[in-house]
Amino acid sequence: MEEAENVSANSPHDGTGNPAAPASRTPGPADAGSADTAPAETAAPGTGATETAPATTDTRNTGPGRLLIAVYAVFAISATARAGYQILTKFSEAPLAYMLSAFAAAVYVVATVSLAKPGRTAFKVSVAAVLVELVGVLVVGALSVFDSVNFPHETVWSLFGRGYGFIPLLLPILGLIWLYRRRPARRDH
Amino acid sequence: MDAYFYIILVVGLLSSIICVVAGLLKKAPNDTTILSVAAVELALLVYLGGSIVRVASGERIAGESWEFWGYLATALILPIGAVYWSILERTRWSNFVLAAVGVTALVMAARMNQIWY
Repeated sequence: MEEAENVSANSPHDGTGNPAAPASRTPGPADAGSADTAPAETAAPGTGATETAPATTDTRNTGPGRLLIAVYAVFAISATARAGYQILTKFSEAPLAYMLSAFAAAVYVVATVSLAKPGRTAFKVSVAAVLVELVGVLVVGALSVFDSVNFPHETVWSLFGRGYGFIPLLLPILGLIWLYRRRPARRDH
Repeated sequence: MDAYFYIILVVGLLSSIICVVAGLLKKAPNDTTILSVAAVELALLVYLGGSIVRVASGERIAGESWEFWGYLATALILPIGAVYWSILERTRWSNFVLAAVGVTALVMAARMNQIWY
């Protein structure tokens, strides 16, 4: 399935980043941070090199990004399978934990797909998904430590993902670093 | 843990190490790394064949049998998907994707062993 995403997304550097996007959109995505204070920061990739801006937007799914997508895909598949199994066979035993399992699976699926797709919308979706994942693993991890009665170690995120080699904790951090480094260039208008 | 697990343990770890080293050396996926992943696939096929023989000869899987077969089927798809992907983008990063196969197969084989016994 991840291959299919990438067949469509795998013709990079051809300007699919839509450089002719309407400039009338609401200014400044929040993730660009301190937008109006730092014109110098964007001077290098700025007006002189308009061709490079869409290219950087679309390199999220190449190079190290592919590794990230692959790991997310493995987690999406395994979390979906596990949640499906839990809900189909023993939902009544721990509905909350299994709902959380399903939620975690959905977050991984969204993150995988949005990381693989080029474009600004996909970027925002992947930032949101990875942030939700980070909050999820921290909150569920903490709850499973302090309230182990209601959280009987049954989700990907329990005990900060210890059952999965703490990769669930590491993954959103690496994901955010990667997304920050490959964030879309700000629009000039 | 049975012999199938230890076969996958050795082959999977070797494959992952080969692929990580190749990635660190900034090599694109080559015959060595792709064949090492093919060896993981072969080890999983041996596991599949052995498991079919054992079930056919009357052995019982202790856990949920469809969970076992689900894990095995997924594990068998992973190397194929990773190799296909590494052919699509021939950069050193694809070697790290290939490296993930061995470790993942190892973890899944451990889980399959737990289900079986």
